[in-house]
Amino acid sequence: MKKSLLERILDPQELSVRFQPIFRVNGNDRSVDSLEALIRGPQGTNFESAEIMLDYARRKRAEAEIDRSCIKAICKVAMNLPTAFRINVNVHASTLGQDPGFVDFFHTQLKKYSLGPWRFVVEIIEHAPACNIPALLYNLNCFRDAGIRIALDDVGLGHSNYRMILDCNPDYFKIDAYFVRGVSADTKRRAVIESIVALSRSMGAQVVAEGPETKEELRVLQETGVELVQSNLLCEAMPLFGLQATGLLDISNAAAAPRDQRQNPAPMCEQFATNEPLFAAVRA
Amino acid sequence: MLQRILIIDDDEQLADAYKIYLSKHGYCVHCAHELEEAEALLAHYEYSLVITDLRLSKLGFGGLEIVKQIREKRLPTHIVVFTGYAWPELKAEALAQNVDAFVRKPAKLSDLMETISTLTEASA
Repeated sequence: MKKSLLERILDPQELSVRFQPIFRVNGNDRSVDSLEALIRGPQGTNFESAEIMLDYARRKRAEAEIDRSCIKAICKVAMNLPTAFRINVNVHASTLGQDPGFVDFFHTQLKKYSLGPWRFVVEIIEHAPACNIPALLYNLNCFRDAGIRIALDDVGLGHSNYRMILDCNPDYFKIDAYFVRGVSADTKRRAVIESIVALSRSMGAQVVAEGPETKEELRVLQETGVELVQSNLLCEAMPLFGLQATGLLDISNAAAAPRDQRQNPAPMCEQFATNEPLFAAVRA
Repeated sequence: MLQRILIIDDDEQLADAYKIYLSKHGYCVHCAHELEEAEALLAHYEYSLVITDLRLSKLGFGGLEIVKQIREKRLPTHIVVFTGYAWPELKAEALAQNVDAFVRKPAKLSDLMETISTLTEASA
């Protein structure tokens, strides 16, 4: 029987993975800080655009299922990446707030492919207002305990607001291209970015600017204090073999090898059964 | 200007056949076979024209829902309802949403094409 669209995108084998480097820029020097894993849906469908596929999944209320499918597809490919590079993966806020087994699932996948958790950055996307914040924060702490870093995507847009910044205490603030494009000719955009940079510094976090399209925008971003940049201008998202061919995955290009920095690694969060109240409201 | 058309029909073979035909006439065509897929596409692209069946599954009239959404959001798109369900009440409900044309299935490709051409040329 023919699979439905939803069944197709929930099958990791139907998904493909691309990686886009996030560069640490310092003047004209660039090194690869991490690689964001980006998903493409089944070939020949509208879901080759990840935005449309994820929008569809959200409308089907299948965020947690699609996140699991994506993580499976990414881990399978990521095992072939050099350990010198951190890997960014996208996870819906609602998944972290509603799926009590997600953190354990994530660790199971990492173990399956022998991937150290400290190599990962979880990017929180689509911060729905109805998200179960206590459960979300509990899961984020579980990730942190395992050495995984946290990024807040689309800072300044939608629900990625000051409350989320305070609650999630991210290691990285990702500034959407909406604020970045045109920054070289728009003092208001520049002011917004400067304020985000100042806020991130005061919270001990770093800023990633997404989507500058010109060298001038890149220069202005550096002037504002942005050190991390993700842009097609520098390198577009591409499959692993394509990225390998660019030479960017040579260890000499790595900004700093990720490592387990925990002095006393805490045991991974094991049982969500003991935290039933966190998720009970969502289930009800 | 390349005009973008969205065909919404749960009959994948039929939708794909129209896609091929319209693509040969110079249109950029997307197909959606489910309500949520159509909604996601409409959220990301601007279409000159949407051609939709009214019934998108055995469960209900998702096409009519799409028509209502397009009009509620005031999207600048023409709408052609292309359906075999031409019950008077249903047709009246669709026309009340200010659809631009109501074409009964089955129809000759040339007839549908004429309707499409008239609408897209008017908006070009």
